[in-house]
Amino acid sequence: MKILIVEDEAGLRDSIEAYFTGADSVCETAPDFAVALTKVGMYRYDCIILDLSLPHGNGLDIVKYLKKNQHNDGILIISAKNSLDDRLTGLDLGADDYLTKPFHLSELKSRVAAIVRRKTFNGNNMLQYNEIGIDLTAKTVTVHGYPIKFTRKEYSLLLYFIANKGKVVSKNAIAEHLWGDNIDVADNFDFIYSHIKNIRKKLVEAGGNDYIQAAYGMGYKFAGA
Amino acid sequence: MKLLNKYNRVNIAVTIATMLVTGIIYYYAISHILTNRIDKDLELEEQEIFNYVSLNHALPEVYESNHQQITFMPLGNQQVERRFVDTVYKEIDENDLEAGRALISIVKVKGQNYRILVTQSKVETEYLIKIIFQITIVVIFVLLVLLTVLNRFILKSIWQPFYSVLAQLRGFSVADKVTINSTPSGIDEFNELDQAVTAMAGRVKHDYQNLKAFTENASHELMTPVSVINSKLDTLLQTDTYTDKQSKLLNDIYGTMARLTRLNKSMLLLTKIENGVIGADEQVDIRAIIEESLYQQEELIHGKNINLVTTLEDKQLKTSKLLMEVLLNNLISNAIRHNYPGGEIAITLNATQITIANTGKNIFDITEVLKRFHKSTDSEGIGLGLTICKQICDNYGFTLQYNLIDERHVFSVGF
Repeated sequence: MKILIVEDEAGLRDSIEAYFTGADSVCETAPDFAVALTKVGMYRYDCIILDLSLPHGNGLDIVKYLKKNQHNDGILIISAKNSLDDRLTGLDLGADDYLTKPFHLSELKSRVAAIVRRKTFNGNNMLQYNEIGIDLTAKTVTVHGYPIKFTRKEYSLLLYFIANKGKVVSKNAIAEHLWGDNIDVADNFDFIYSHIKNIRKKLVEAGGNDYIQAAYGMGYKFAGA
Repeated sequence: MKLLNKYNRVNIAVTIATMLVTGIIYYYAISHILTNRIDKDLELEEQEIFNYVSLNHALPEVYESNHQQITFMPLGNQQVERRFVDTVYKEIDENDLEAGRALISIVKVKGQNYRILVTQSKVETEYLIKIIFQITIVVIFVLLVLLTVLNRFILKSIWQPFYSVLAQLRGFSVADKVTINSTPSGIDEFNELDQAVTAMAGRVKHDYQNLKAFTENASHELMTPVSVINSKLDTLLQTDTYTDKQSKLLNDIYGTMARLTRLNKSMLLLTKIENGVIGADEQVDIRAIIEESLYQQEELIHGKNINLVTTLEDKQLKTSKLLMEVLLNNLISNAIRHNYPGGEIAITLNATQITIANTGKNIFDITEVLKRFHKSTDSEGIGLGLTICKQICDNYGFTLQYNLIDERHVFSVGF
């Protein structure tokens, strides 16, 4: 997975790069508009993480450039502007998703993974992770080919963990992913535990591995195989 | 009391007093002039008598005409002082006594003194005075009527610009988009007032806009460092193993960052709603939003063992989906958060309104609760939830009401 991070804030850019760089991903970065435009002109990426307010230019122009040249790179806009207009303009222009700052890196990774999955969609919209199979269209889960009944939240959480496999995901990030950011997350911490307990139980009972581990009381980790 | 009435009252009182005083002065002046004229007539008559006597050495015939009587009375050696007197006058063929004026004088005929009494009726004079008095009364009355009419119609139209400025001031709100329009008039004072008010309103609005822009910019600018801290925390989490103490600290930082983020987002949202930047032109399925919100929060409802009763009819509304979600999420999560274990929540949706009734721990004062950053002591929230709800309702034409019915907190939103 090849990713371009266009972000002028060095601290954020470095964190994203560090979080995304791994066994299956290569990251490149662009600190301003000119570098970003040069890079998208020369290379193709599976996904471009694009900040809108850049020095010397507007991120939306990069989206326009990509669409004009019929480049099919996935585009995820990250912006501090939560204005609906920006969001709609971005999506209208052909961006795949929009994430408002601040966000958790795990949320960003799960969104990028979803975009890349959609881009490389080839007939069967199936995600296979070892013995776990996920039908992204029907939103069903199988273990060793046998279907398991997952609730909506459990299904969403499983996808989230697989996208962030090998990473510790904080309880805050999980709560915000499941309940949205306009609900007070602290109220929901206890319920994260029960959702995760259910997922583990269902996977193990169906003969799968127990992938999810608690991490120092701060979060959970989906252990990479 | 209206300035106009006060002014008129004084005006009318002064006018009537002046009219009365002038009437009295007029009465005496006229009466004096007329008496003078009668006295002249009487003197003329006396002179005629003297002329007659000096010519004929005899008293003239006593005659009576034209409201005038002359009588002679022999006096012998007695003298009488010549003087004018007010007396009564009796017409010969009538019995009525009229007011009269008489001249008493003395004439000497053939060594004999005679008293002359010339009397003249003052009936015409009195009649004149009566007419003058009546005219005065009529003029006073006409003036009163005129002033009242002036008050009602003409003056009211003169004051119109003042009232229109006042009405605009009354309807003025800094948060509104409506500005105060200039109402020019032909009156300098009102023009000055109008200009002052228009300028003041413009200045207030401008300052308020600046303040809002500052809040929005500040919240925006805060988002960048917050996202950096957030991402650094996420990265820190991956680096090593942690002791219990360290993870407790990290958890606290995470929690605080989440709060800071939500506070900031709420402030931004509030500013955006106030500015009316969020368009409201989608067809929104209210029932679906409620059901989704309840699904989102089902763990909390079950966790508190809350008995949930819903009666939801289908309702479509042309508004902003985002804001409807915020509004209903806030109201529903409040109903859960401020409930006690084993309590109740009843949600009803029909064509005209949605009501959310919940059992709750505290009795509260709704006006206090609607203030910014108000929260109950045991609340985990940031104290902007209901303020946002109120603002959404105000800006998008819904009514937000709160009642305490049968010890249940009932919030209703009327469409």
